[in-house]
Order: sequence, then C-alpha cells, then structure tokens
Amino acid sequence: MDQHRLTEYFKRRMPHAREHRVVGLKRISGGSSRETYAFDLEWSEGGQTRTRAMIGRRDPTGGLLKTDREREFKVIAAVHRAGLKVPEPLFLELDASVMDRPFFIMDRAPGRTGMSAFPALEAESTRAKVADDFLSELARLQSLDYREYGLEILGPPKNPEDPARIQTAHWSEVYERDRMGEHHPILSAAFAWLKAHPVVTDRVVIVHGDYRSGNYLYDDNGIIAMLDWEMAHLGDPMEDLGWASMTFWGREELAGGLMEREAFYRLYEQKTGHRVDRERLFFYRVLGNAKMVVICLTGIRDFVEGRTSDSMMPFLELLIPQLFEDLANQLRLV
Amino acid sequence: MLRPTLKEVIGGMQRTIMDALLPELTSPYAQGQAISAIIMLAHAAAVIESAPAYDAAEIKDLRATFAALKRLGDKHISKKSGLRGALAGAIRASAKNPPDRRAMEAAMAAFASAVALGDADDGVARHVRGYIRRNLERSRNLFGGSLPSA
Repeated sequence: MDQHRLTEYFKRRMPHAREHRVVGLKRISGGSSRETYAFDLEWSEGGQTRTRAMIGRRDPTGGLLKTDREREFKVIAAVHRAGLKVPEPLFLELDASVMDRPFFIMDRAPGRTGMSAFPALEAESTRAKVADDFLSELARLQSLDYREYGLEILGPPKNPEDPARIQTAHWSEVYERDRMGEHHPILSAAFAWLKAHPVVTDRVVIVHGDYRSGNYLYDDNGIIAMLDWEMAHLGDPMEDLGWASMTFWGREELAGGLMEREAFYRLYEQKTGHRVDRERLFFYRVLGNAKMVVICLTGIRDFVEGRTSDSMMPFLELLIPQLFEDLANQLRLV
Repeated sequence: MLRPTLKEVIGGMQRTIMDALLPELTSPYAQGQAISAIIMLAHAAAVIESAPAYDAAEIKDLRATFAALKRLGDKHISKKSGLRGALAGAIRASAKNPPDRRAMEAAMAAFASAVALGDADDGVARHVRGYIRRNLERSRNLFGGSLPSA
C-alpha cells in the first residue's frame, strides 16, 4: 500500500474531515492470506485533531487462500454488530484501481498474538482468561441467527448433511487444483474417507473457519479481538470446535495450548448448552487436518509458480509431515 | 567434488543475507522475511544431501510394496475394488527406467483409500500400513525432527 494513495483515498471517503494524514504505514506479518498493513490515520474534524489506529488488508498476488474480501468484510461487520470481540470494519474498496488490488480498512485492536498454540511462557492467569474467552466467543458466534445479521449471503446449506459434503468437496477440489501433479496417498485416503462418511449436523451456525490460537489478539485480561475471518461460512458447530482442538494447533495435550482437550470440550458444552457430538467432532478433526495440508499445498504452489514471494511459504512444506502423521493415526493407516 | 558445493553456496547465501542485507533493512516486515529466508536456507542446506537418498528409498519401498502386493495374488484383491488395475499400473510404473514415482504414488493413494475405508483385505492392509509407517519415518528423518511449529 502506498501512503500518498491511501491519504487520497481517505480524503474521498471522509469528505467531512480535513487534513488527512496517514502516519507510520508499515507492512506487518500475520494474516497470511492477505497483505496486512498497520498505520495511524490523523484528521481534523469540528476543530479537533483526531487519530485512529487502523489496519489495511489488501488482496494478495498469491498466498494461502483464495477468498472473497467482500464476504470477509460483511462477516466482520455482522459479528461486530452482534457485539463479538472483533476489530471494527471501516471501509471496503473493491475498485482495484485505487490501490492495485481490492482492500479493506478496519480498526487496529491492541494486544499481542502467539503463533499456532497459546504461548507456554504466558502467566497461568492469562492463559485461563484467554481459554475462557476463546470458548465464550465461540459460543456467542454459534448462538447468532445468521439471517438476523444478513449472512444468508454465505449460502445456507439446504440439507443437514450439506455442511460436511460442501466442505469436503471444496477442499478436495482445491487439493486437485493445487497438488501440482503430485499424489499424496494419505491425503487421498482422507478425502475418500470424508466423502464416504458425511456427518449430519443438528443446526447451522456461522463458522469462523480458522478459529484457533494464533488468530486472536489478547492481553492479561483475555481476548481483545478474534481475527482472520476470511474462511467464514455457514456450517456445523463441530467444525470450529474440531479445528480449534486439532493436535496441530495444540501443545502436548492442550487444545490450542489453552487447556486439556477433554476439559476444553466440557467447557464448550457449558458455554453453549450443546453437547459435543464425538462422531461429528472426529469428522471435522479429520477434515481439519486434510484442509490444513491443502492450505499448505496452495501456499507452496503459489510460491513455486511465483505468485507470492513471501519467504514463509516454503516453511509450509515442513508442516505437512505432522499433519500426515495425525491423519494416518486418525484413519488407522499405521 | 565441485567446489563450492551446493551446500556451501547455500551457507554463503545465508551469511550474505545475515551480514550484508539484514543490517540495511529498516522495515520489520522485510527483516522478518530475511530471517525466514535464512532459516529456510539452513533447512535446504541440511536436506540437500539427504534428499536424493530419501527419493531413492521412497521409490525402492514403493516398488517393494507393490511387488509384495502382487505376490499376495488376486484372491486378496477383489476385482470390483478397482485395486487390480491400480496394482497393474504401479507394477508397470515401477518397471520403467527411471521408475514413474508419481504413477506409483497414485496407485498407493488408491490402496491407502481402500484401507481407510475398510475395503482392503488384511494382507493388503498390512503391506500398505507398513509402507505408510516407513514413509512417515523417512519424512521425520529428512526433516530432522526440527520442524518449526506453525
């Protein structure tokens, strides 16, 4: 993103204000599916100078995911309106001529973030608060009526088995697209198993799609904001729970590095008032591992074919063996 | 041996990024990218010599596994499973010079799927599971158990 063009953009979008200034624009890592920029916007309004910390998320030239930024923006707007802990979405720009590629602007929440598992060195009290918030926010998300928030745009499933079938078909297609001619026996076996065992959901909820440690900002008082909503869709509540509790995102037996896995499920049941369906949970944990391998393959392909120069992309190759081990264990292939 | 070896070139590139480029970079994002490149080059230097042996072991194992499956005979591989065709294709692929690894892996994908679905005979499943176990172990060895967390 370019400081001058961004300033001009804000002049057009905020005509009531004067003396717009974009300060400290810098690209930051994280949110790998889009280019992410941090900056402060200063402006004058009603005789007062104001400043707001913002984040710009621009479509990438390549990367981990091919997702629709308009959908992502609308989902963030909806859950923000519902009072969930998310950054406030501010502007959506679909005209690629403004900044080379579409982008959106949102509030920059404070706080820190970890990698895939909650950092082991954090204080026990912080970990406990984050764990509680993590499942409280998930329960709140799953309690929302998507129709009330205009999220029919996400395409409500028609039948109870559709969420499982649609997600399986989607990730299987992405695998076929991005496997670059390679065959991965364990992954092929996983998709064969998923196609043969579609589970039936008992209710359709808003699924974040990447609900896990590493995708929230937190401080000593708990979670400040859940991030990275680009894979949000309508589906089975067990999908986010299965993804969040995958061994891959955890540490030892701690789901997400937050709490022991069975305690995590019990707390989920307390927070939501719904029982954890073990069969569906297992299905979505298998799907989660398969999906994560496919996401890695997409990133590797884009790196190999020159659509992204992000030097993190080749690391994805190193993540795949653990996912294959998890899948092989789940499917009794070893 | 041709000097510098590929491993030595990669090691030199790591030092170039570390000593010459990194101190000049002011953006934290660019610094992060440079550091990931250094780490990735370290990984490449570590595996570059063992990768050919990994590939050779993979091909040898696939070949041996399909030969063992063939020795089991048709009564262990039902006609309607489609695995007979996969096995025949894998045997042809393994006889090529060089062996067609992708075709063998495609056939192994069919066998692994049958095992996951419970459609494979016990004898077949034993050979397929044995291959997958060894394949995972080779991957663990290649990546040296130093996999970064995601």
